[in-house]
Amino acid sequence: MSEMWINMGPQHPMTHGLWNLRVKIDGEIVLDVDPEMGYLHRGIEKISEDRHYNEIITLMDRTCYVAGIAWEHLFILAAEQALHVEPPERALWIRMLSEEFQRVASHLMWYAAFVQDIGLMSPFLYGMRDRDLVLDLFQSYTGGRLTYEYMRVGGVRNDLPPGFAEQARKVCDWLLDRFVEYDRLCSGSDIFHRRCDDLGVVKAQDCIRLGITGPMLRSAGVPRDLRKDRPYAAYDRVDFDVATAETADVTGRYVVRMEELRQSVRIIRQALDWLDKNPGPVMADNVPRWMGAPYAPVGREGYLLKREYPKGVGFSAIEEPHGEALAYVVNEGGEHPYRVKLKSPVFVNLSAARHYLVGYRVADIPPIMGSVDICVGEVDR
Amino acid sequence: MAPLSLYGVANTLVSTLLLHLAAVLPAPLSTLASNSGLITALSVLLFGAILLGASLLNTILLIWFERKMLGRFMDRRGAMHVGYAGLLQNFADGLKLFRKHTFKPRDADGLGFFSAPTAYMVTSIVMFGILPISTGWNSGSLPLSLLLALVVFSFAPLFIFLGAWSSANKYSLIGGMRSAAQMIAYEVPILLAVVAVILLSGSFDLSTIVAEQRNYWFWGPLFLALLVFVAGMLAEMERIPFDLPEAEAELVEGWNTEYGGMLFAFFMLADYARALVGSYLIVLLFLGGWTMPGWVPAPLTNFPLAGILWFQVKTYLVFGVFIWVRASLPRVRTDQLLRVGWMRMIPLALLSIVLAALVVLAKCLPVFGCVPSVGG
Repeated sequence: MSEMWINMGPQHPMTHGLWNLRVKIDGEIVLDVDPEMGYLHRGIEKISEDRHYNEIITLMDRTCYVAGIAWEHLFILAAEQALHVEPPERALWIRMLSEEFQRVASHLMWYAAFVQDIGLMSPFLYGMRDRDLVLDLFQSYTGGRLTYEYMRVGGVRNDLPPGFAEQARKVCDWLLDRFVEYDRLCSGSDIFHRRCDDLGVVKAQDCIRLGITGPMLRSAGVPRDLRKDRPYAAYDRVDFDVATAETADVTGRYVVRMEELRQSVRIIRQALDWLDKNPGPVMADNVPRWMGAPYAPVGREGYLLKREYPKGVGFSAIEEPHGEALAYVVNEGGEHPYRVKLKSPVFVNLSAARHYLVGYRVADIPPIMGSVDICVGEVDR
Repeated sequence: MAPLSLYGVANTLVSTLLLHLAAVLPAPLSTLASNSGLITALSVLLFGAILLGASLLNTILLIWFERKMLGRFMDRRGAMHVGYAGLLQNFADGLKLFRKHTFKPRDADGLGFFSAPTAYMVTSIVMFGILPISTGWNSGSLPLSLLLALVVFSFAPLFIFLGAWSSANKYSLIGGMRSAAQMIAYEVPILLAVVAVILLSGSFDLSTIVAEQRNYWFWGPLFLALLVFVAGMLAEMERIPFDLPEAEAELVEGWNTEYGGMLFAFFMLADYARALVGSYLIVLLFLGGWTMPGWVPAPLTNFPLAGILWFQVKTYLVFGVFIWVRASLPRVRTDQLLRVGWMRMIPLALLSIVLAALVVLAKCLPVFGCVPSVGG
């Protein structure tokens, strides 16, 4: 067979979303790739300039549809800095708890999609089933399963419901049990290693040069994790280890994510203990009621009121499940931000596709792209 | 009374019917109705129709079995709503596919595109006529039925490649190439494994091979050959872990990407027919066919059609193992598959031939007091 270009996407089982990977192949060997993004661009940054802060939270949920609350968290941190609001202690812990639950849900979703890419059928459903337990927990305190609209400038919308901690602990115990089985099904399988070892290698210096972050970077042996290196919320007050691997390949990314799942459960347990002992308010006092209350801007006239916010600039960086996400919010004194800029980790990781796909085989593309953990929503924003 | 045979039943039915017809019909027609040639022809037709219907029903039951088993492995229930425990779900699915528009891509080659599914289906279904599923339930004793079965079985890559090539789709083409390479590579170890069976049984006739297993089933002495044969069959059936011709993660649906509606249903049904035939072959060659070991109490093996029943039980157990494998293993890569095929399977198959020869020789030793059956 001579060389030919094939389009893997925009609708293709490998893409896990709406993007196009153009691949030049010679037989089964990949000669060149050209990732094309932008099919899912919704202009979230631009829309944000015309929305009230409470309304932007809704948009943030839609930025990444598997890690909505992490993006809420990202935006809220920047917005609070821009508006000079200090959230109460308890809200910080609830946010951290939510983000870790979201990390568990997102990684389980990744696990399900990834094993499907290498042809494992049953663990796909195991991953989805266990993710459902986490979504149930989300539903019990935010009301949403996928898009939560839970965090507010100055805190969180509402406190955890009674009985939440017991339920959450039960889920944690169950999940830890399940992770053992996941490991046995994947890394215990010889075929898994044949498929994934030494695949899609990006060495540490290349990762840093290309701006690759998150589990991909950590799988190359770089212990960079914003939760440790630039602590936000209450991450400086919980014990956890940064998961790393040395192999820099697909197996390495798998190992890192599985360890992160365990570490997330560890953080969740500490957060639950702290929240049990420290009741208190979940919204700051100095924000107007309509900013944080469950029933945000009341009535039509709420919009007609001219609200004055302090001028300011906010920057935040969080370790989102996929990597390092950054947000920059500028407020010029109006009731809408003047500019919102989001940096998506997956966009960067995906743009480097040529560095980890060329030279491998067509059959290697799904596991490699699966190990990147793509969320097209946040790539295109 | 002669043992119950399908052809006998068909023959009796047809001749009784024609006898009654001859009695009521006027003269020229009544002589025609009592013509023995016509009776034979109609009996063969009826026999074929019954065999075809029963085999296709069995295939559809197999699909149901896979859906339910796979569901259980995945912690869900599988089909539940159409018929008892979803038994009729596949008929509903078939009806849905039947109603669909038969679609041909603009650039596809019509002749190849439409003939490939038909030919694939036909070669798969012909197998049911060749393989005996119990005494009296095949189309007669063919002295080379094993060879014929393997020949018909190995037609498939040709038609798959035909369909893939004429689809004018790059994914189809890659899938078709993979499929052809894989099936041809695994044809060799399968044939070598079968040679071991032929050595031990001394016959190419499947009925004789089963009869030779009345004392011991061949999977014991030919365990290696069984392993090679099962792995080869997994590759031939294109099931996980060897389903890379239709690896959906990278090739969408592989060689049948462009097929929809009834054409897809043909491929699907033929795939499962091949899976059923593959399980049949394993049971026939290694697991004693319709015979049961002597320790099974007589009431369980003595009733009419007991052979068929036990044969099906064994077949479904074998296929259950395939489902189990499918539920728990990832997919290998083409180059790995071919390397395993050429460099591991063939030496193993050759070794199993040597083992079979040793077993045959051992049977000649005076200790066992047997005569060699080679050539007999």
